[in-house]
Amino acid sequence: MKLLVVSAVAGLLFSLAGSTPAKTLKSDPAAGQKIERSMPVSPQLTVTLCVASGRLTVRAWEKNELRVRSTNAGYVELRRIDKGKDPSAPAWRIDVMVGQTVSQINSKLDCQALADVDMDVPATATVQVQTRDGDISIAGVASAYAGSQNGNIAIERASKVVEAGSVGGSISLRDSSGRVNLNSAGGIVEVTNVKPSAIDDTFEVGTVSGDIQLDRVSNPKVNAKTVNGNVTMTGPLARSGHYAFTNMTGDVILALPHDASFQLMAKVSEKRDIVSDFILKYLEVPAPPAAPAVKPGTPAPEPIAEPKPGVAVGGPKKGEVTAGPKKTEAKGQPPQKGQAPQKTGPIMMPGPMERTVIVPHVLRRVSAVCGSGDAMISVASFGGTVRLKKM
Amino acid sequence: MIRCLDEATLQCYFDGELSPRLMESAAAHLASCATCAAAARELAEETALLTSALEAEFEVAVPTAALRERIDAAVLGERVASAGRVEKTSLFASFANVFSFNSQRTLGYASLMVVLAFATIFGIVKLRQPDLQPAITDSQASVPATPPKSISTPDISNRVEVADAAPPSVAPIRVKYSPSRSVTPKVVSVKANQVELLPGERSYLQAIARLDTTIKANKNAMRPSLQVEYEKNLAFVDRAIAATRTAAKSNPNDPDAADFMFAAYQSKVDLLNTIADARLTGGRSH
Repeated sequence: MKLLVVSAVAGLLFSLAGSTPAKTLKSDPAAGQKIERSMPVSPQLTVTLCVASGRLTVRAWEKNELRVRSTNAGYVELRRIDKGKDPSAPAWRIDVMVGQTVSQINSKLDCQALADVDMDVPATATVQVQTRDGDISIAGVASAYAGSQNGNIAIERASKVVEAGSVGGSISLRDSSGRVNLNSAGGIVEVTNVKPSAIDDTFEVGTVSGDIQLDRVSNPKVNAKTVNGNVTMTGPLARSGHYAFTNMTGDVILALPHDASFQLMAKVSEKRDIVSDFILKYLEVPAPPAAPAVKPGTPAPEPIAEPKPGVAVGGPKKGEVTAGPKKTEAKGQPPQKGQAPQKTGPIMMPGPMERTVIVPHVLRRVSAVCGSGDAMISVASFGGTVRLKKM
Repeated sequence: MIRCLDEATLQCYFDGELSPRLMESAAAHLASCATCAAAARELAEETALLTSALEAEFEVAVPTAALRERIDAAVLGERVASAGRVEKTSLFASFANVFSFNSQRTLGYASLMVVLAFATIFGIVKLRQPDLQPAITDSQASVPATPPKSISTPDISNRVEVADAAPPSVAPIRVKYSPSRSVTPKVVSVKANQVELLPGERSYLQAIARLDTTIKANKNAMRPSLQVEYEKNLAFVDRAIAATRTAAKSNPNDPDAADFMFAAYQSKVDLLNTIADARLTGGRSH
């Protein structure tokens, strides 16, 4: 028995003694030492950086030089991939190779490093960074391409292009200009103060289950879509701008200046509202879709309701019609005489029929204009409310 | 620990292509492994979806008509033969018991005689009403012309109860005499269960199937955090597809309803693309 215990303890000690140095050597051979690499580069540099896990920070500076620092990487190499050019000329394409060991970098196991990396690049550079588990922060570059699976992405002061994608993390973009494309599956997307750098710079943002919050986005074409989230936009509209908002579940809230001028095309569920603080002039009555076949004895679905007056703050002007049936009710005004109360919920078949008949999901369309109708706002919300607020 | 079933094995399991021994071991493993059971459920759902999506293609009969006839005849012959064997043995056993009388059996025979007498009288009465049977079997449209039908319905159902104890050859009559109200919902439900694809839906389903295959073709296990995000968002998208699809089906002439459905499908395609990209490990894109 004693022999067994002694041998077990000895085996345990032996295994611990064997594993500890190996872990240190593998994960962080230069623990505590800062690795720094730098290289003169072209102002038009394109640089890529890719790790498996770790925080990536990219900053622009005024030098035509690339500098990479890491405190927990084993090895960092600035690899020129613009070969064939004059080797004495500044590099304009570089892959930043980060690894725990030299062999890891030279093998095909790229993007496997577990390291935080800081990078300084010229302000006119294009940066492409990706990490699996880690946050990304980019500031001041010309073009930023960022991807993370679970980390958050924060970009600011980009001047030409921003493309960012995350599966589970949030995305934040501030004080930037140019073409923008942001996608997150499960995270929220927040954008503040973005404008175009060219006349055709588009702004596209999409999520599956995250909210979208846009503040002062003045790109001429804005497209925001989500499956299950709220879409909020605050700020002035671009003159002749096109704005498209699509969601399945969740509200679309647009907070606009009091003198906003736009044309509104909205598609919402009949059970949901379009609530407007603005006085909307109704343009046309969209043709309702043909009613579905109804069995004898079943109650016919209600026809598509036309927009009803009386929702704008201050009341509609003469000759103008506003949309949004429920706001009047919210203010406590009783329904007018002869007006049937709104039916909600499924309608049960009377008498001998045993099956529940569900009223089909009917969409309501509103086409209206506010002011001279400079911008075009298209809203499609399958199951949410559309709110137009005055700032 | 038993190794989990890979996708190929699971597919073979569902297709019935495994050997009996492997089939049994796969079934046992599925019963005990939650991960594989979930994967099996998912695969079964996909198979069902694809089956419904490619229903038109599957409806094309691959075997020739002659081959089908031969197979049907062989199956029928086998069934008749086995039924005959069973009937012979059971008839012989019961015939031997017929002649063993006791007090309980006497009472039973008396009851049987009474029931038979009632049944005979009832049959004679029914036979004297020649128009009733066609009136019931035709359709509901003839209801006003045959008001006694509703009155006679309880009798018919009683008759059905009796017919339950009758030999199998009487069984089809039960269908004929059954109140049409109980048959109609079955027909309706069968039609309702058939998945009819809406115009333009097929291409999305095919794209989704391809992406799904791509994601699953990656042999590396999906990381738990990615798996959680994937499943959470997939659930949102699938719910949106279901809701918009219902709306599109109930408003077939409304292009906006179809647009919502396509937008939901596109969201799923985008999500699967994102996940497929995330599954690609190593290497940077220039």
